[in-house]
Amino acid sequence: MLDLAPIAMTLAADSPAAVASAPAWVMLIPAMPMIGVVLCTLMSIMGVRSKLPAFVTVACLAVSFLLTVFMFTGHSEGWATAVGWEWLHYSWGDGNGQNFTANFAFAVDGLTILWMLFVTGLATLIALYASEYMATDVGQGYNRFFIAFNLFVFSMACLVMGSNLLMLYLGWEGVGLCSYLLIGYYYKKPEAVAAAKKAFIVNRIGDVGLALGVYLAFVHFGTIEYTELFASEKLQGYLHDAAEGHWSHIPWQASAIPLFLMVGAFGKSAQLPLYVWLPDAMEGPTPVSALIHAATMVTAGVYLIARTYPLFQVSEIALPIVAWVGTLTALLAATIGMAQFDIKRIMAYSTVSQLGYMFAGLGVMTSVGAGFHVLTHAFFKALLFLACGAVMHGFAGQLDLRKLSGLWKVPGWRIVTIGMFVGCLNLAGFPLTAGFFSKDMILAEAFVTPGFALIGWILLFTAGLTAYYTFRVFFRVFVGPVEYHAGDDHHGDDHAHDDSHGDDHDAGHGFHPHAPGWAINFVLATLAVCSIVAAGLYFIGDHGWVAGMIHDSTAHIDPHGDEAGGSHGSAALFGLDPHKAMYYISSVVGIVGIIFAYAFHLHGRKSAGEAPAADAFKAALGPIPRWAENKWYVDELYQFLFRGPLLVLSHIFRYVDMLLVDGLVNLMGWLPYAVGGRLRRGQDGVLQSYAASMAGGLALFLLVILLLVNQSA
Amino acid sequence: MSQMLLPGAILLPLVFAALVALLPQERARSLALVGMLISAIPVLGLLFSFDYAHAADFQFAGSMQWIAEFGLEVSVGIDGVSLLLIALTGLLGPLCVLGSWTAIKDRTRLFFTWLLILQAAMIGVFAARDLLVFYVCFEFTLVPMFILINVFGSTNRKAAAIKFFIYTFTGSMIALAGLVYLAMHTADAIGHWTFALDDLMLHASTMSGTEQAWVMAAMLAGFAVKVPLFPFHTWLPLAHTEAPTAGSVILAGVLLKLGTYGIYRFVLGFVPLAVVEHAPLLATLSIIGIVYAGLICWVQTDVKKLVAYSSVSHLGFCVLGLVAVNTTGLSGSVLYMLNHGLSTGALFLLIGFMYERYHTRDMGQIGGLAAKMPVWASFMVFFTMASVGLPGLNGFISEFLCLLGTFQSSFGLAAGDANPGATPGALGPWFALFAATGMVIAAIYLLYMVGKVVWGPLVEPEGHDDSHTGLPIDLSAREITTLMPLAIACLVFGLYPKPLMQAIEAPVNSVVASYELEAPAATIEHAEPHDSGASEPEADH
Repeated sequence: MLDLAPIAMTLAADSPAAVASAPAWVMLIPAMPMIGVVLCTLMSIMGVRSKLPAFVTVACLAVSFLLTVFMFTGHSEGWATAVGWEWLHYSWGDGNGQNFTANFAFAVDGLTILWMLFVTGLATLIALYASEYMATDVGQGYNRFFIAFNLFVFSMACLVMGSNLLMLYLGWEGVGLCSYLLIGYYYKKPEAVAAAKKAFIVNRIGDVGLALGVYLAFVHFGTIEYTELFASEKLQGYLHDAAEGHWSHIPWQASAIPLFLMVGAFGKSAQLPLYVWLPDAMEGPTPVSALIHAATMVTAGVYLIARTYPLFQVSEIALPIVAWVGTLTALLAATIGMAQFDIKRIMAYSTVSQLGYMFAGLGVMTSVGAGFHVLTHAFFKALLFLACGAVMHGFAGQLDLRKLSGLWKVPGWRIVTIGMFVGCLNLAGFPLTAGFFSKDMILAEAFVTPGFALIGWILLFTAGLTAYYTFRVFFRVFVGPVEYHAGDDHHGDDHAHDDSHGDDHDAGHGFHPHAPGWAINFVLATLAVCSIVAAGLYFIGDHGWVAGMIHDSTAHIDPHGDEAGGSHGSAALFGLDPHKAMYYISSVVGIVGIIFAYAFHLHGRKSAGEAPAADAFKAALGPIPRWAENKWYVDELYQFLFRGPLLVLSHIFRYVDMLLVDGLVNLMGWLPYAVGGRLRRGQDGVLQSYAASMAGGLALFLLVILLLVNQSA
Repeated sequence: MSQMLLPGAILLPLVFAALVALLPQERARSLALVGMLISAIPVLGLLFSFDYAHAADFQFAGSMQWIAEFGLEVSVGIDGVSLLLIALTGLLGPLCVLGSWTAIKDRTRLFFTWLLILQAAMIGVFAARDLLVFYVCFEFTLVPMFILINVFGSTNRKAAAIKFFIYTFTGSMIALAGLVYLAMHTADAIGHWTFALDDLMLHASTMSGTEQAWVMAAMLAGFAVKVPLFPFHTWLPLAHTEAPTAGSVILAGVLLKLGTYGIYRFVLGFVPLAVVEHAPLLATLSIIGIVYAGLICWVQTDVKKLVAYSSVSHLGFCVLGLVAVNTTGLSGSVLYMLNHGLSTGALFLLIGFMYERYHTRDMGQIGGLAAKMPVWASFMVFFTMASVGLPGLNGFISEFLCLLGTFQSSFGLAAGDANPGATPGALGPWFALFAATGMVIAAIYLLYMVGKVVWGPLVEPEGHDDSHTGLPIDLSAREITTLMPLAIACLVFGLYPKPLMQAIEAPVNSVVASYELEAPAATIEHAEPHDSGASEPEADH
């Protein structure tokens, strides 16, 4: 198993970290979006019919982002806490652990700041984008959209900044609610309603795991405040035991905690077996998909594990499970993504897949790699989604890559195409992009961690698949011959989905795509720049900027074992330093993927709908592409294994309740009549007197029994 | 002055009931509203003059001799738990009148008279400090509710009312038998009759384990039916579905709590040995109720019946917290009583408002109302989320604490410093795990409901005409006024439950202190010596 010695050493050395008090304005970071909620609600009540809610939102979030930047520049080592008010506190004794305390309080460390920077930054940009994207709904759902949008950022801030596990839980379910409301934004569409419901329920399954993990953590450690929990001698002792391989010294109560917590993480971050909600979540408006279902909320699971990393390290099996779940999710989602035609769905599956990389990174003990990948992915995936959203917005909801082609040459679509290209390069892991470096950190670590080489190979193979399906989208939609067909909806709200898919709108029949305006273009350009610049973060400091950020946080480990006894420092891959080797190998893999995409989807393609090489290859594979297109029938399997039986059981219960449980009651009520032979008498008056005498008789009977019991005792 | 608050809270509704009954029909509803509001003043007075530092003491106590030779007296007094439940009753009363403003068109005098009498009886139950007051009030709640359902209910009201009456009446007769036995036992011990709860409590614990078990069974016959605990719940869906809106609100909001309050005050207080011995059984029934009733909710077509069954499921958490017998569980359970009253009460009001407009509760005939009634829909989603247990709203705190209490309450874990957060008890992680599935099931059925009624394409019953209802399409100012206090309470107590906890913590701790549990000898090998000479749960076997 893993050699944890250096990790525990450094943790033990760092552990009595000072807990400073953070300046009170830190609480404004979550408060600003809350103010946004209140203002947008007021505007909704007053019936505001303009873009005002959007700009209020942008302003609130921008302030929140600026404050986060101040928090970043002002932060030094360790924790800084700011207590809002006493949320839940009670005690049943004076002893250790005999009280429960969970304040509405915030605790800030490097990990928190890292997350908050990109959460508030992206939220601001995406709110600006949404001001234009949602413009057709001004006066209808526009206010509602921005209420939920602000509430989401507030919840996310509570999740990330909370000072205890209950605050995390508050944010956790809060973002779930906002996700529910925003996926179901086009509530007249049954698909959207179903998708929203599915997201909430599948997440709830994870939440149960998280809740049980919190219970167990409280019962075993007597606290759920981060500063106390992670500094506790008990936990430090376990970390020592774990580092020395004395797994049997650690009681099951401690080592079971991460097993529960990870269920929550798998739900929120859409990992096996709970990933099925995320692709359906694409029913929501695209800015929501970009912010919530790609860049921020779905990384909450990664945050949870990074936050409670010491708890994960006291279990022998927790991190290996995380690594394998992440790896298999990455592979599975990539195979599904390859076979989809809806470009937004492809991006959704790629999100699931990339989240798998992050989990694998956590599992193979490179929290830095996972964190860096979260950051780079946040930028380039938001960019990709927003570019897809621009297409959807401009082409009346068209997302089928067989019905769009050559957008580069359509007037007004340059910035979108460039943005898309930058995003695709990152996602494909093209050499020297940010996505390339962050993915490599995870891959290299997998190869050099003993016992995880197979994970490395699978992830490497998946990287090739990723490059292929990413550029499949780009080569089909953005370059090649110009051709486009409009979609059939105008943002859903007033036009209920009828099934006449828009084949009759052709390019020449009067449809003019409307090119994005300044807000969308500005946001796309900004994100494209951020995605490129993010690569530079890799070269700041010893192991990149992210390593410096999480150095003093709970997520910190020292994967290279610079201290004595480290086993990783000497590891090599094909006789090279593992990271250097990985540069070459994964560059080749990525480029090969892109070449395949070119050969199949651009080379020799004459129209949007037909790509001869790809179609021929697909035919050669037999039914497999169809199975992949149908998502390997996982939804159907779950339906068959879980939802179906549960529904049948519910119906059975319903009849059991009516016939058996209630039937017995009715029988009991009927007996006195039957005995008295007065069954046919009138209903009301007699009945009551009968009831009284029956009850009285029963009561008397019981009293007699009690007296007899008393006699014999 | 403050001595008059409690009698005032009980008697004022009766005075107004008499006024409503005597004055003309047309004035009934406004008089009832005034009556409810004025009756709420002494309740507010109680809230403000209650001494929260001594929340475990019974304050505002007063008693009156009645028949001295039988030890019969009328005595009242409230601790923090009673106080909060009285406050809940005082809050729901006026809202029920407002919520029934237009729904009850005929025989308004009869309706509001009984509603006010019911109010007095419910407050009486929570204020009672002797068996007589308790039992009289407890039984007397049946009559007003019987009439509310029987006269003002929907199509199947007669059957529902009769079933409600007979079932709960039978149960409470049996409970009476148990309580009388307890009084006899006490009379034996001290030589004269007394029905004062303090005296009974003092001597109840001298009963043997077997006696306690029988007395518990008898008491539960009354209280478990009232809660209702699986499998004694079948009267509830019927009664709820048929009852008028105000009846459902009071039924879910307060009357069910008489059962859990009875378990809290009497079962936990009087028969600790039996509680500890049978806690796993009760917990199992609660969990079955949570899952079973929750799944039944999922296949309902009548939206009101769905919410009714959800009460069965929800109250399972409440009983679970009670039998965990630790501070966490009991606090959670008391909070659950309040929070369920707020959120489910509001859901029934909302369904009532919808019913007034559409005259159907069939989810096949109505749907997608968000498009037509956005304000109504917003409230609906809000209270559904409170009911689902979303953190930040009130339902979460109580559900979280009930489950945490269940989890903590484990003889196996409670072994000194190894698990400092554990408390001795007969449940434990497995019970919490199974009960926690209720969290998922609640999400399934409540979102199913919202998905049908609120979201989706607009569906209205055939021939529906908005102008025929006499009501605005969306909620009127009166209806919003009815819901706002509940919404505010849900939000405030979700984020700041401290005022409630202040009233609950001390009384709950005094109940827990009377337990001083020790683990059965077999499971405490690693335990550190526990500093008490308390009762051994298994002593008598």
